[in-house]
Amino acid sequence: MTIEMFEKPLGMRDDFPFIAKKKAELRAKGTEIMQQAGYELLQTPTLEYYETIGKISAIPDNALFKLLDNQGQTLVLRPDMTSPIARVVASKLLKEKMPVRLGYYSNVFRAQKREGGRPAEFEQMGVELIGDNSLYADAEVIILASEILKELEVESSRIVIGHTQLLQSILLEFGLDDRQIEIVREALVSKNSVKFEQIVDGLGIEADKIGSFKALNRSKTLEDWKQWIDFSNSEQADLYEEMLKLQKIVERNGLSGSVTYDLSFVSHMTYYTGLVFEFYGAGSGFPLGNGGRYDGLMKQFGLHIGATGFGLRVDRLLEAIAPDKKYAADTLILFKEETEQQAHERAQELRTKGVHVTLQYAPAVQAIDEFAGLFKEVIRLDGAVNG
Amino acid sequence: MDELTIAMPKGRIFEEAYELLVNAGYDLPKELDDSRKLIVEAPNEKIRFILAKPMDVPVYVEHGVADVGIAGKDVMLELDRSVHELLDLGISQCYIATAGLPNTEMNPVTPRIATKYPQIASRFYRGKGEQVEIIELNGSIELAPMIGLADRIVDIVSTGKTLKENGLVEYDKIVDITSRLIANPVSYRLKQDRIQELVEKLRKQAVR
Repeated sequence: MTIEMFEKPLGMRDDFPFIAKKKAELRAKGTEIMQQAGYELLQTPTLEYYETIGKISAIPDNALFKLLDNQGQTLVLRPDMTSPIARVVASKLLKEKMPVRLGYYSNVFRAQKREGGRPAEFEQMGVELIGDNSLYADAEVIILASEILKELEVESSRIVIGHTQLLQSILLEFGLDDRQIEIVREALVSKNSVKFEQIVDGLGIEADKIGSFKALNRSKTLEDWKQWIDFSNSEQADLYEEMLKLQKIVERNGLSGSVTYDLSFVSHMTYYTGLVFEFYGAGSGFPLGNGGRYDGLMKQFGLHIGATGFGLRVDRLLEAIAPDKKYAADTLILFKEETEQQAHERAQELRTKGVHVTLQYAPAVQAIDEFAGLFKEVIRLDGAVNG
Repeated sequence: MDELTIAMPKGRIFEEAYELLVNAGYDLPKELDDSRKLIVEAPNEKIRFILAKPMDVPVYVEHGVADVGIAGKDVMLELDRSVHELLDLGISQCYIATAGLPNTEMNPVTPRIATKYPQIASRFYRGKGEQVEIIELNGSIELAPMIGLADRIVDIVSTGKTLKENGLVEYDKIVDITSRLIANPVSYRLKQDRIQELVEKLRKQAVR
C-alpha cells in the first residue's frame, strides 16, 4: 500500500542534508564559544508540566502544544529554554555554585495558527547567567552573543538595548499611574507609534512635556536618554551611570557603532526587569534573538537572585548567514566490481586526511553525470575517464 | 545609502499615497500606476516600489521583503501582523460599519454577518456580547442582505453611496480608518536613518 499523506503538521519542517550540515556547524561554533567563556551545556526534557513551565514561560497559551499524561496531568512541549533552566537552578540547589553559567542548544515548540514561513519547532541556542546582579553580567552575555554572530559572519548585525526599570521610573516621573503605564507599555510592545502618540496626547500631562515624552520613541543613544533622566532621583541616576559603564565595556569589545540605545524598547516578555536587548542582521526579516535581565522569573521560582541571558533563533540565523554550496561531500569514488578493493583503500587513505569520501558502485547509479555533479571532486575507478 | 523597498497598495489608496511621497520631496518617476509592472525602481532616490494587493502589504513587510509599506488600518486590524506602525498618513479616510436592510432586527437564533473582515466583525460582536455566525465574502458584500444571505454586513464605508444605492442603511460605526506607514521591525533598526527621514518628511504632508 502506498501512503498518500505527505503533508506535515502546520509549521513542522524537514531539515534536508545541506541544512542539517549547516546547523551542525552552527551548533559546533556557537557552543564552543559558550564553553570557552565558561558556560556548561545542559539539556532539559522535551516535556514539562503546564502548571509550571507552561504558565511561567510567558508564551501565549494558544501557542503551547499541550497533551495529557497517563495521570491526567497537562504537559507541554517546552516552548522556551529560559524557564526550564530557571526551574533546574531553583530545584537542584545549585546555590553554593552561584553564579551559575549554563548554555544550551535545544529545539523548542510553539504552535502556529497561520500560513507557512513560521516554524512551530525550531532550535535556540543561548546562555543563562544566574546569581549575578551586576552590570558586568549583562555586558558579558551581550558580548558573548555578538561574538557568536560575528563568528557566524552575520552581516550588519545590530543590537538594540532598552531598560525596563529605567523606563518604568521615567514614566512614573511623568506622573503616570500604573494603569496608564500599562497602556503605554502595550503600545510600545506592539510597536505601534501611532497609538503611542495618541495615548500620550490623551494622558493629560503638561503640554510642554508632551514633545519630550513622544521623543522617547526615537532615542538612539545614551546621550539621547539624558533628557529624561532626573539626576536628583538616585534610582535613575544610578541606573544611568550603570548604562554608561556598560556602554564603555561593550564598545571596548568591538561593538561600537552597532548598538542602538532605545529607551522605548520593551519586550513582550513580562518577566524582564532590567536591561533588555534584541539582535538583528541583514537577510532575516525577523529578529535573530533577544535577551535581558529576568530577576522577575527567578522570583516566581522563589529565588531572589539576579539572572540574565540571551537566546538566538537558529532558523533565523540560517537566513542571515550566507548559504554554502550544496555539496553532499567533498569527494566521490565510483568503482566497479574489479576495482572495489582499490576504491576502499583509496577512500581510507583520503578519510584519514580528513576528507569526506562517498563510495559508490557505479552500475547502481542511473544518471551518473548528474550524481557526480554533486561532488567537488570525482575519482572514477569504474573504467571511465576521470572527469 | 541602502536601497529602500516600499510596498504600495494597488488601487484606491495608491494615487493618494504616491502623491504624498512626491509632495514630501521624493523624486519619483511620473507615471507608474498605469503600467502593469509589479516592481518599479526610482533610482534617483534609491527606492524600489512593490505594487501589491492592499491586503498583502503587511505580509510583505512582516517578512522583510519590503522595508516599509503603506497599508489601510482596516487591513492592519484584520491581519494583526507584527510590524511597526509608524505614522498615520491621514489619507483614504473611511470607516468600518455594520449595515443591513432598513428597519430589520437580526435573526435571534443564528444572526449571520457577511464581511470581508471576519476578525474585525467577530471582535466587534463579541465585544457587544452577541453570538453571530460570520460569512466571509470577497467583494460586493452589499448583496448579502439583499438576497437573504445575511442579516448584517460589516464593511468599509467612505461616502455611503453604495449602501444607499442598494437600499441598505448603516447601523453601528465600528472604527475610523486611515492609511498608515508601516515598517519591518528589522529594517526599522538596520535602516533607521532612512526610515526616520521618511517618517519626518511624510509627517509634514500627512492629512490632519
